[in-house]
Amino acid sequence: MAKLTIDGGAIEVADGTSLFDACRLARGEALPHFCYHPDLSIAGVCRLCQVEVEGMPKLTIACNTAVRDGMVVHTRSEKVRKASQQILEMHLINHPVDCPICDQAGECGLQNQYMAYGLYDSQVTQGDKVHKTKAQVIGPEVILDKERCVLCSRCVRFCNEVTKTGELGIFNRGDRAEIGVAPGQQLDNAYSVNTVDICPVGALTSRDFRFQKRVWMLKSADGVCAGCATGCNVRIDHEAGRVYRLKPRRNAQVNGSWMCDEGRHTYKAVHADDRLVEPMWRGQAVTWADAKVRLAEVAAGGFALVVGSAHQALEELCLLKQVAAGAALSGGLAGSDMGVGDDILRSADRTPNRRGLALAGFAEHGAIELAALIRAAKGAILVHGGDPAAAPEVAAALAGRQDVVYVGTHRRATAQAAALALPGATWAEKAGIFVNRQGRAQAFAQAVARPGQAREDWRVLAELLPAPAAAPGSLKVLREAVRAQLALDVDLDRLPADGALTGGEA
Amino acid sequence: MSFEGLSKESTEKRRSLLESIYLWEVVKGLAVTGRHLVHNIFHTGDMPTMQYPEEKRVYSDRFRGRHRLMKREDGTPRCVACQMCSTYCPADCITITAAEHPDPAIEKYPATFDIDLLRCVYCGLCEEACPCDAIRMDTGIYEIAADSRDKFVVDKEFLLNEQTRGTR
Ligand code: SF4
Ligand code: SF4
Ligand code: SF4
Ligand code: SF4
Ligand code: FES
Repeated sequence: MAKLTIDGGAIEVADGTSLFDACRLARGEALPHFCYHPDLSIAGVCRLCQVEVEGMPKLTIACNTAVRDGMVVHTRSEKVRKASQQILEMHLINHPVDCPICDQAGECGLQNQYMAYGLYDSQVTQGDKVHKTKAQVIGPEVILDKERCVLCSRCVRFCNEVTKTGELGIFNRGDRAEIGVAPGQQLDNAYSVNTVDICPVGALTSRDFRFQKRVWMLKSADGVCAGCATGCNVRIDHEAGRVYRLKPRRNAQVNGSWMCDEGRHTYKAVHADDRLVEPMWRGQAVTWADAKVRLAEVAAGGFALVVGSAHQALEELCLLKQVAAGAALSGGLAGSDMGVGDDILRSADRTPNRRGLALAGFAEHGAIELAALIRAAKGAILVHGGDPAAAPEVAAALAGRQDVVYVGTHRRATAQAAALALPGATWAEKAGIFVNRQGRAQAFAQAVARPGQAREDWRVLAELLPAPAAAPGSLKVLREAVRAQLALDVDLDRLPADGALTGGEA
Repeated sequence: MSFEGLSKESTEKRRSLLESIYLWEVVKGLAVTGRHLVHNIFHTGDMPTMQYPEEKRVYSDRFRGRHRLMKREDGTPRCVACQMCSTYCPADCITITAAEHPDPAIEKYPATFDIDLLRCVYCGLCEEACPCDAIRMDTGIYEIAADSRDKFVVDKEFLLNEQTRGTR
């Protein structure tokens, strides 16, 4: 342990802690910085984080200094204030006045730090600025504006250290130094948009989000990416019922500060044209009241087979099991939704909750097995989520049946094959819990309103219970029941910020 | 709040006998009306009433009339779709969709730019917020009429066209 004094207050931190982190603890806010990033190596190039250490002849950068016992540090002295102001002014010498057309405006490191530490009058006239290439497409996801770059090298370090693809580099020297890709190369790795997130200014912008919304108009909800079994923690940025982008939320146990590009596009399915927004009876839209009448006809004797899916939340799966009340169970198609994984974040399993499915007691079946289960069912069949009818064998078994009920979000094969299709909610439109590949239960919150007549899945399932009167009154009650059912020792309604392991192999 | 401190007398004026008959007061009032009537018959130019729309009031140059969008030299809108105006607008009546401009030197332009003139309170904050002097309220136009609500929502082409008056 090292004891040091920061801005007059004593603080004790572990040996080897960087002075930057110690100052953040002591001040309650980070020092001004561009190049420091908790999940990248230290570059020490922006020089913004300078502090005064007694006994040192000059100011020193905090990010690249380890704490020493007995250090006396000043972060708010006049000398430090002047230094950060002047460094900031230097960073802005050639910076264009682009804020009106710059997507970063509103969440920009330059803007924020100018307001906090700058507030000087510029000594540079517009005409004297060095101009560089603007709006250059450097990959399928990213656009580069060389003028706006402050050369913090975060993006370069990301491509070198995290993806190890090394597409980006700093070319030339002095005020002509610029970020770029080698000739003939592209920034096209599977994680490229993370460079946009970590770029403290508007030099790197996302082609998907560009100009869609000014960031200050967005509201955020904490979500979990449903793109694969990794379950990266995300922030769902939305406005007026529309999701505009997903951004990674830091969780050192799961995704660090990153998420993959494919995951960022998963929000598009929420607003897809083929969303199921009304109850459908034999292909005709009906009201919920009519749907309930039809349901009573179809499933008068309860269900003979209940099919779950790894796309549904843990609470829903547990409730689905109660709906089954002893009927044959299936977890849906084994091996469906598989893609290519890697050893950074992406799992080959492109479902968010396969571990949860197993935890809730569902076993998946191959297409032929599932078709056999369907043929053997001597009563109504309930399919919740997923799209098992995408497999031709299952579609053939379902064909002609008039007693299939589907609860789901999209009008895909299974919804078409079902006699009665009931609209549920996507991950952006409900709260729930996914259990990721580590067995970590992570909660996600509702971001936007459900479209049309769609309802929360657990409320739809509650109506299908053999004894609807015993249905849980709220998600909180349901979660308590799930906790008891699965014998977990965590409060599912108040999961820790980095999730909770549910046991089993990690 | 209480009115205990106020005396009753202060709110009730004592009337003289003549006043309490009212008749004399009516005659006095009619005399004023008559005086103006006769005066106006012989001095029509002094009348405060205007013969609108044949006659129109002249407003100061600073009068905030209907908005217009300014143009670049090549006739395209000067607006860069930064949405400062729509952010600042207290009536929330400006709707802009931004799009990528083929020229990287311009980069961003408004694909659509609509103002709901019925919701606008003519405060002028939009022109004050604009970093590009792209929206002005110096047209002096105050005659805005239409026969349906949606016609008061004017679009980019309308606001760019110097010839347009009224609504579309
Ligand atoms: S990077 Fe920041 S300061 Fe620079 S133009 Fe964009 S918003 Fe403005
Ligand atoms: S592009 Fe952004 S992240 Fe990369 S060096 Fe420049 S400012 Fe830093
Ligand atoms: S004048 Fe005021 S109310 Fe009208 S558009 Fe401008 S900012 Fe909005
Ligand atoms: S503030 Fe000016 S430039 Fe920005 S969107 Fe409004 S009119 Fe266009
Ligand atoms: S944050 Fe320390 S030098 Fe950039």
